[in-house]
Amino acid sequence: MSIHVVKRDSLSFGKKVLIYLGAVAAALILGGLLLLAMGVDPVAYYSRMFTMGMIGNKIAYKAAENYLKIFVPLVVTSVALSLAFKMRFWNIGGEGQFILGAVAAATVAFQLGPILPQPVTLLLMCLAGMLCAGLYGVMVAALKVKFGTSETLLTLMLNYVALYFITFLGETQAAWNFYLDEESVRPIFANFSKIVSFPSIPIGKFGLNVCVIFAVLIGILIYVYLKYTKQGYEIAVVGDSPGTAHYAGMKVNRIILRTVFLSACLIGLAAAFKVGTVGILSTTVTDDVGWTGIIVAWLAQLNTIAIFVISALIGVLQYGSTAAAATFAQVDSSFADMLQGAILFLVLAADFLIRFRVVFAKKGGLTNGNG
Amino acid sequence: MAEQFAIEMKGITKTFGSVVANNKVELNLKKGEILALLGENGSGKTTLMNMLSGIYQPDQGEIRVDGKPVTIASPEDAKALGIGMVHQHFKLVEVFSAADNIWMGKEKAGFLLKKDRYAQIQAMAAKFGFELDPSKKVYNMAVSEKQTLEIIKVLYYGAKVIILDEPTAVLTVQEIEKLFQVLRKMREDGHSIIIITHKLNEVLELSDRVAILRKGEYIGTVETKDTNEQELTEFMVGRKVDLNIERPVVEKTRPLLEIRDLTIRNDEGAVAIDHVNFYIRGGEILGVAGIAGCGQKELCEAIAGLRPIEGGQMIHKGDNIVGLSPKAILDKGIAMSFIPEDRLGMGLAPSMSITDNMLLKNYADSKGIFVDRDLGRADAQHVIENLGVVTPSTETPVRRLSGGNVQKVLLGREIKAGPNVIVTAYPVRGLDINSSYAIYHILNEQKKSGVGILFVGEDLDVMMALCDKIMVLCHGRMMGVVHAHKVTKEELGLMMTGSLDLSHRYEDKPAGFAKDTNFVQTDEEVEP
Repeated sequence: MSIHVVKRDSLSFGKKVLIYLGAVAAALILGGLLLLAMGVDPVAYYSRMFTMGMIGNKIAYKAAENYLKIFVPLVVTSVALSLAFKMRFWNIGGEGQFILGAVAAATVAFQLGPILPQPVTLLLMCLAGMLCAGLYGVMVAALKVKFGTSETLLTLMLNYVALYFITFLGETQAAWNFYLDEESVRPIFANFSKIVSFPSIPIGKFGLNVCVIFAVLIGILIYVYLKYTKQGYEIAVVGDSPGTAHYAGMKVNRIILRTVFLSACLIGLAAAFKVGTVGILSTTVTDDVGWTGIIVAWLAQLNTIAIFVISALIGVLQYGSTAAAATFAQVDSSFADMLQGAILFLVLAADFLIRFRVVFAKKGGLTNGNG
Repeated sequence: MAEQFAIEMKGITKTFGSVVANNKVELNLKKGEILALLGENGSGKTTLMNMLSGIYQPDQGEIRVDGKPVTIASPEDAKALGIGMVHQHFKLVEVFSAADNIWMGKEKAGFLLKKDRYAQIQAMAAKFGFELDPSKKVYNMAVSEKQTLEIIKVLYYGAKVIILDEPTAVLTVQEIEKLFQVLRKMREDGHSIIIITHKLNEVLELSDRVAILRKGEYIGTVETKDTNEQELTEFMVGRKVDLNIERPVVEKTRPLLEIRDLTIRNDEGAVAIDHVNFYIRGGEILGVAGIAGCGQKELCEAIAGLRPIEGGQMIHKGDNIVGLSPKAILDKGIAMSFIPEDRLGMGLAPSMSITDNMLLKNYADSKGIFVDRDLGRADAQHVIENLGVVTPSTETPVRRLSGGNVQKVLLGREIKAGPNVIVTAYPVRGLDINSSYAIYHILNEQKKSGVGILFVGEDLDVMMALCDKIMVLCHGRMMGVVHAHKVTKEELGLMMTGSLDLSHRYEDKPAGFAKDTNFVQTDEEVEP
């Protein structure tokens, strides 16, 4: 008796979804076992988590607002990353690009916020964030195009450069450092939400931040861009076969530079949305969206619509675990990270089941020579 | 039957997913015979042999070696049973010497590399009549040398049964002859040999018996002396096939593309094409023959504007096209299709649909920022109907199509643009007989409509039948342009290896150099 792994031909959409849901369920069961070991009732915990503590809460709309604050940067970053991934450019420098974008946007807020009208400042914040992040990303693309360097390594390392840069800003008290709070003795970042912040559209008690609308707009635009435009077509060809793109007379290098710039720009925009909403810099300003975005983009198989769905779900995990931590003090909110990891791992494992099936070699007909 | 077989395979079945690669295949190999395993691409020849050499295990069936049932679970088992396989793609360590490549598989060789290994392997090679320098590094070797090394490696480990997977695909005529001599000598020494091939003339020349597979099914085994090319083709394809390649006579027009004194460097900076002159007239097919890597790829790329040239001129209908962008050259009506070894890497985007692939060269022509997919769909539909592409829909990814259909899509796209010069390299690479003939037909149709075709090919028989003239390249130098119906295969072989140079036979009129460069006149000059 031996086990064979055999390639599957195709699987219906429904079955695929079922297998993925199974993987998510398995991850939740795994997490549930851990919760049991900690003496927490998994059902109670999960129900608190997935409702994000909104049920029976008098200020549920606040929870929804805060949830969207997590969702927006994540979804925009994921969409941005999917652009580069579609071209098989492994931009794992979302973190670094996000930080630079955030610092640039904050700079505009501190320096121009008090002088200019708010809408102009916000627009300039977005542009500054996009430009800085874009340049930070395109630099790597330029090196790849010119010298054939590995974008994976460079974007990865530049994440740390950016992280130490913002740490330096946050810890260095000096006359020039306008990022810090002047009142405080210890070095802490100053809050500029009094000067400038993205407005909300009131719907009853609930305030819909304009960034949410922008995020949806960006999603639609990128979907159309990838699917229907010439540039999107070029990205797909370069990603699929650079040799073919070259043979078709495409300017491959220019396409790479353009696409990476656009990808990094959007990450910068996500950063501007974030700082323009929270009104403060921090060394953890990214909330790890540069990493999580990679996971989202891949789980969604680079499909823009799926990215929105998965970002929403991951946002629920992250925000829900914080909400649940208020009730279940013994479970740290980083439980969500673990659960997220388990889900990713099991969904990828499920991918194997979608592409292959395991069969047990049977003896039949004539004897099997390799029995 | 009392006869003892070296190998018996009984009822072998192997499936990959829903694809049945081998279905109840029977194969017997007598001791001391050369058995040809014949079949078209995808008929399961290599799969069957991989089960003998332990790479795959059969789902069902029995393998007997010397009459005893055996289990071959790994290449190690095959080695122990005296079965050795020379794969189509060599499995050698490039930076090692010939001797070390053989040595490293030896188990009881001890910890140290001993000097006497060179002498041992030299002696071994001489015994079978091989020429081999044991201390030569593999990366310095020509393809035929690498193949020799693979065969010696197999023999060194005491293989009594030797399987060769398409060994002649990469060799010149002379090298093939040499290989056949070696194989015959091995047969005399009592080795049993299975040679996988789809070339009928080789089968008839070399083998004792022929086993035929078709689409994974075992068709039968025949004595070579009792059969002929026509019969074997029928077994292989399943119906009668006209083996004659048509060469329509078309009134040739003036030269469309003229190459003068062209020099090109390859990616490594070495000279790939060395002062080459030739021209293509409308209504003719000019073949380009040469050993792999003698500058064909660079030549095609240069004509298509994808590779800068070192010196010389390329004149298309009186205009110099040197330095033009690929797009501008395309707009002039020069289409290029190059089928690389992997068959998908250049010219097609494998994960994208036929529609999207149709758009590859003209997507930028539509107005606005959007891609005009309706145009691509119409083109795809047109190509599918005209060339008989078998596909579920226009939206099927090219990767899912079979080889012949992929190449039809590629050629169809190039032809659709209405070119006046077609540069096509290896258009039938890896195709079965039917698909190949379909492609020849497409090319002939183009020729009849007055298109000039540069046909870079591999199979000399085909080129001699299809082309009007053949230009032979050797290490980037042109050895001459000959009339395809007058030249012999041996001559071509000698020219390919550089032993015969006809390029200076007519000192006053160098062959292949266009004489009628005055484009105003359209007269037909008699060629030498």
